[in-house]
Amino acid sequence: MRRLPWLLLLTSALLAEFDIKGFVSLESQVYLTHPSQKHGQNFTLQQQLEITYSEGDFEAIGLLNAQQDAYDLFSNEENERTFIRLDELYGRYNFENDMVMAGRNIRFWGALEVRNIVDGFNPQEMRNDPFETDKMGVMNVQYSHYTESGELSIIVKFEERDQKMAAFPYVYYFFPTFVNYEDTLQSESSRYRPTLYLSYSGSTDTEYAVDYALILQHGYDSQRYFTLDAPLVGIPVNLEQHAYLVNKISTYNTMVVGNTLLKVEVLYADVIDDPNISDYMHLGLGVEYTLTQFIGDANFGLIAEYYYYDTFESGKYTDLELFEIFQNDLFIGGRYSFNDADGSSIIGGAVLDLDYDEQSYYVEYETRIADILKVYMDYRYIEPSKDMLTAFHLLGRHQRVSLNLAYHF
Amino acid sequence: MISKLLMIGLSITTAFAISNFEVAKKSDEVMSGYRDAVSQMQMILVNAGGQQRVRDMKMKVLERDGGDKSLMEFLSPSDVKGTKFLSYEHANKDDDQWLYLPALKRVKRIASRNKSGSFMGSEFSYEDLTAFNIEKYDYEGNAKEITVEGKKMYQTVRTPNSKNSGYTKQVALVDAKTFLTMKVDYYDRKSELFKTAVFSDYKKVEDVWRIGTITMKNHQNDKKTTLVWKNETIKNGLKESDFHKRVLKK
Repeated sequence: MRRLPWLLLLTSALLAEFDIKGFVSLESQVYLTHPSQKHGQNFTLQQQLEITYSEGDFEAIGLLNAQQDAYDLFSNEENERTFIRLDELYGRYNFENDMVMAGRNIRFWGALEVRNIVDGFNPQEMRNDPFETDKMGVMNVQYSHYTESGELSIIVKFEERDQKMAAFPYVYYFFPTFVNYEDTLQSESSRYRPTLYLSYSGSTDTEYAVDYALILQHGYDSQRYFTLDAPLVGIPVNLEQHAYLVNKISTYNTMVVGNTLLKVEVLYADVIDDPNISDYMHLGLGVEYTLTQFIGDANFGLIAEYYYYDTFESGKYTDLELFEIFQNDLFIGGRYSFNDADGSSIIGGAVLDLDYDEQSYYVEYETRIADILKVYMDYRYIEPSKDMLTAFHLLGRHQRVSLNLAYHF
Repeated sequence: MISKLLMIGLSITTAFAISNFEVAKKSDEVMSGYRDAVSQMQMILVNAGGQQRVRDMKMKVLERDGGDKSLMEFLSPSDVKGTKFLSYEHANKDDDQWLYLPALKRVKRIASRNKSGSFMGSEFSYEDLTAFNIEKYDYEGNAKEITVEGKKMYQTVRTPNSKNSGYTKQVALVDAKTFLTMKVDYYDRKSELFKTAVFSDYKKVEDVWRIGTITMKNHQNDKKTTLVWKNETIKNGLKESDFHKRVLKK
């Protein structure tokens, strides 16, 4: 009789569905222009494994990311970019009009293409290429109620994670060699203090359809700031990262007008407990117009986006000290989708800083070989500000090409 | 006397003739009433050199008067596995479409005005994949009665009424007994023959005819794509909530 529960458990496990997917990729980057003390190239092996278990209305998901940097393996000049991260491990139960979820996961919020200023739920992995999106999962619980065309959600986040950085010889370690980064996050309150999010999102059934989302937040902000324990005069100093509390309102919206998408992301943060950080706002406006069957079956999308960031109190950190790149910037670019069997596309454009005379140009190409190998290539060129201490100024003039080959399963 | 006989003969011919609109209406009727459908779909892309690529998808459709709702999930190739495409079709305005990109966990709104673009690099356009809806076409005159391989067929002509259609004319061959569409010739914006779709493997499921295979041949680039429906079930009791945006992230 005591075997019955185990038998039932085994039977239900066999009846449930497991789904496994992921990839193994090899990335090579060559930095054509870079500071002489830093590595001129880099090789990274990455692996992702996602397992989904589903039975009826219940789903459990696990997502593991692993990375091996070649310098960490073969050289004394380690980049410290090797890790294994469990980014997702959560359970979700779907009711008729409701959903509950608990565990560690990754979310996406936003509408724009180049930078999603409202997408601050998960911290970004700082040991990686800053031009890639690589988010770290965080512990949270969620309850959602679904209406006919919308979703009302309450989310409580329980975790603020340390963000490690790569070591000095890595080209994307932005600080000088004598700056030692302490990766333990500093905060006035416990890092496990809950952050509350209340969001409402939906779509209109109007002539010009709108997807809208509004998020109210109380708790830790996604923006972080750094402090040094001594002035930057060439002697070793320690750098620390700080988190602080805010009341924040964010919204992201997309309107469809024929072949044109109009996008808006806005946020306003009222800082609660930090003497260094001012209340601030961030705005992003975007337009995307698609020319279908531009050449043959190919589509060409023209994209323009504008970003504006401002702080409201003097004597506190500004966009420069916060290393906010998109403070008064214009992006103009395009996406050429070949619409072929290999899913090939070329995306490129220029981000022009209208305050600090700084430009960033890039072109990315991706395609598929024999249906199993994904190929990604890019070229980037950054012309940093000459006299302002921006993030790109710390990086220096930068030019790179990269190739990524990924086997998906 | 001869003119009277001619008049009577013409009247009889007109009385037995069937209009293009009536054929289209009957074709629509024999394929309607499934309420909802769930199926596995396989898309076989063949290039001009004869090389094949296979794409697998899961498909759910909800039949609605104002326009169908559909959810497509890509199962292969592996790098797009989990990508979902949700579409709300509308008769009198642009469709609502969203794409879910699992790598980014992102739901993206799609501008859907132009339906003539290729679907996943295949010879099918988005327009070809939406369910046949008689209101989307204009009809004139009577269908032509012809015999193909010993079977009586109606050859009907219809003109898409959307200015965003990729076609100026469609000529369909419809079985005169079952009113099932057997073939459609598509004419492009220059009024030249562009593609031909051959419909086969029809099955009658719960008194509703369902298509089994469509092969689309592009006459301008010599490529073809075959769409095969597998394990299709209808009247599954799907509801509007099964096509809520929330299903993209499930």
